[in-house]
Amino acid sequence: MPDITKALNLDELASKDSPIHNLDGRVKLISVLLVIVISAFSNNLFIPIILEIFLLIVIFIAKLSYIDSFKRIAMLLPFGGAIIIFQPFIHPGNILWSYSWLTVTDVGLNWAILLLVRIIVSLTAIVILSSTSPMQQIVTSLRRLKMPKDLAMILSIMVRFLFVFIDELAAIRRSQKSRNFHIHSKLTPYKWRVKQVGYTVAMMFVKSYEQGERVYKSMISRGFSDKSDLYNEKSSLEKSDYIYIFIILIIIITAEIIIFKYSNQLGYLGMNLSIN
Amino acid sequence: MHIPDGFIPFWQCAIYYVILIIALYFASKWARENLDEKRIPLLAVLAAGIFAIMSMNMPIPFGTSGHMVGGALVAILFCAPEAAVLVFTVVLIIQALVFGDGGITALGANVLNMAIIGGSVGLYTFKGLKGIIGIYGAAGVGAWLATVVAALACAIEMAIAGTFPLTIGVASMVLYHFFIGIIEAVLTVVVLLALNSFRPDLLPWNKTEGGQ
Repeated sequence: MPDITKALNLDELASKDSPIHNLDGRVKLISVLLVIVISAFSNNLFIPIILEIFLLIVIFIAKLSYIDSFKRIAMLLPFGGAIIIFQPFIHPGNILWSYSWLTVTDVGLNWAILLLVRIIVSLTAIVILSSTSPMQQIVTSLRRLKMPKDLAMILSIMVRFLFVFIDELAAIRRSQKSRNFHIHSKLTPYKWRVKQVGYTVAMMFVKSYEQGERVYKSMISRGFSDKSDLYNEKSSLEKSDYIYIFIILIIIITAEIIIFKYSNQLGYLGMNLSIN
Repeated sequence: MHIPDGFIPFWQCAIYYVILIIALYFASKWARENLDEKRIPLLAVLAAGIFAIMSMNMPIPFGTSGHMVGGALVAILFCAPEAAVLVFTVVLIIQALVFGDGGITALGANVLNMAIIGGSVGLYTFKGLKGIIGIYGAAGVGAWLATVVAALACAIEMAIAGTFPLTIGVASMVLYHFFIGIIEAVLTVVVLLALNSFRPDLLPWNKTEGGQ
């Protein structure tokens, strides 16, 4: 889990101004979901690579830093990366290279490359979404796309309080640090450190529970009941929103047609690399 | 054990999503019946707290570090795995959409592992053992088992997806989470002990019959 204190910087980044930032939240969300679904289930490299090129152009239009974006993607890779690293060695196929018991097969290597490309495209899409839409906008968009009411309301309130807790946790850590507490320090017994972390977790838990009770009381005193609904600000889609979603659809459809008709001419890019 | 996008084929993702929808249906029904209208702010703020808790990395032996998941803890505190389902669905949606941790297409599988399986295993182990080894021992064993079984489920899903062979996957995931689980267990017990001294009224076994 990445450090959530970075969420604060992320929301600042997401509140900037660019043609991408100014798109409707729903359009950004749907386009990202579309890109992820298409690339995550693609069996060839051609479609994800086309989408990645499109996303790189979007990063440019959104005036985001390429270096920072890729740093974030690299930080998100570990779990997926750890699984991908083993792939070339564990799947049966034609042996490309072998050293004693270690063998690399073509099937495994192709599958590893496909997985890596899929995950990079998905993460690029997520990095773009989270650096161009503030968290509250993402949640509002989910709500307006008819997410179930209870879940939508839990989600909205959660995001609102996430920042309170980020501050709260930062305050606890600061006060621990000012007393020279260090979680990786070998000077104190391991057992004692675990206990301190446990107390911090318990403290966060109690604080969040009590905050929840307070929020509930203040909500009923303002007329909240089981039938209440959240107010959705009305906003209609603009021309740029339609153009953006239209471009994405055109790219996806064209790429799919090219793969369908000319997959043989594309060579390696058009090959079916999937094993499932 | 957040499965990323692209590792599970389409039809399997669809099955996990169906499981997620069914679980959410029962979870909201449970919340409506047991928590009245207080449920929404309570679960929401708790989800925010869990989110913060998940971001605290604890060093574990062998140089790696792990963080607490808290699925068993939430299920034990509410005496219902349904609470874990609601809390973890929102947490995992935000983790997937904003932080890129865990895939969107794999959301169903991730909720299944961490909340449905983790929460149920944690709670029912706790319920089964609390008469034998005491409340805190049972909670610890429950949390440990929840972590290991969730990792096992994750390895099995990867094997069904064809991404990772069953034997190596199960061996490595279970071995790794064998240790992560110990941290989860110890933290769960410390949290429960701390709650017992700060706010004993929050613990289900301190509540009087008929109370919420």
